[in-house]
Amino acid sequence: MIDWNIIIKEHGPSVWKTAYRLLGNHADAADCFQETFVSALSFCRRQRVRNYSALLAHLATARAIDQLRRRFRQAQSKTDFMDCTVEEYDNAGPYQQAERQELADKVRQSLSALTPQEAQVFCLRYLNDMSYREIAKQLGISTNSAGVLLHRARTRLRESVEFSTPE
Amino acid sequence: MEDKKDILEKAADVLKDEKIPPGPSQELVNETLARLADTSEHPETIQLGHRIRLRERLRVIHHLYKVAAAVILLLVGGYAVGRLSAPRPPDMKELQAVLVPAIREELLDEINENLQSSYASLTDSLDRKYQQDLNRVGMQIMAAANTVTNERLAELAESFNAYQTQERQWFTTMLERLESNRLQDSAVLSNALVTVAQQTKEEMERTKQDIVQLLPYTQPTGSAPD
Repeated sequence: MIDWNIIIKEHGPSVWKTAYRLLGNHADAADCFQETFVSALSFCRRQRVRNYSALLAHLATARAIDQLRRRFRQAQSKTDFMDCTVEEYDNAGPYQQAERQELADKVRQSLSALTPQEAQVFCLRYLNDMSYREIAKQLGISTNSAGVLLHRARTRLRESVEFSTPE
Repeated sequence: MEDKKDILEKAADVLKDEKIPPGPSQELVNETLARLADTSEHPETIQLGHRIRLRERLRVIHHLYKVAAAVILLLVGGYAVGRLSAPRPPDMKELQAVLVPAIREELLDEINENLQSSYASLTDSLDRKYQQDLNRVGMQIMAAANTVTNERLAELAESFNAYQTQERQWFTTMLERLESNRLQDSAVLSNALVTVAQQTKEEMERTKQDIVQLLPYTQPTGSAPD
């Protein structure tokens, strides 16, 4: 019998961090948080879980990317998904803060344009610091495929971010 | 190339270093636990969600028909316009000259990625193999050294035992020889003593007879009895 209370206490903060980092607002992050644990529950019914940390990181990333894709597909206005209270960066002026916020939003939008697998591989590698082997294991693919997906994701993201970033 | 890399890394760092409010709140945790409990008790909740999502999808597909019709019209129009104002057929050599470097670069990048990951896994496996071999050889050397040491110790103990036995035998022989010498000396001494005693006795007898014979010559001559 799995004690979800303990699992949420132990892994909840990292799931929250992953969801909020990708979605950028409280309401969507809360939805993603719940979706992640519901997905984990249905996953646990199918097979035994050995590494909850990696599984939850993968599920949180996948759910957050799904939500990002839905958000940009529905083409809602930017104010819809942005928090009114923008988090301030330490030791940064207003211009830098605005620039960083803009860049973060651009990355989110670019991630939603990638295929779900590419976006997941990129997030797990760069935001969760997982190794190729761990990513491959979580996604059920070979290490080489993970490397290829990451390469494609990087190429497309680079093009997208560079295209939208003013010189 | 460096600028592009910088932009991507900077973008990833911005996302990674974004200040995140502390969470999840206790309220969210409680809601999640309640939802999990509800899902555990009523697994059909998930299916209901799927059904709702399916309905939404059907609605979207219905809207897509109009878009698809517009796209088909646009494609037909475009095809007609293109057909009418058809340019000369594409120059295959020019196309090849444009495509080959791009494909080659893409292929090289992919090969590099594959090589890097293969190299990493190969290095790992070789490291493990090397460690295992080293451990196995070390164990074999230790076992051989133990065997040789045990053999040498057994030989040493055996030579000690042989030497001690030899010493003991020599000592016993010497003791026996001493004992026999002692007995022999003792017998010789007793015989000599007996001989001396007999000779002394004979001499004593002879002296006594001599004294007896000399006794009359030693009587006083002055006053003889009447």
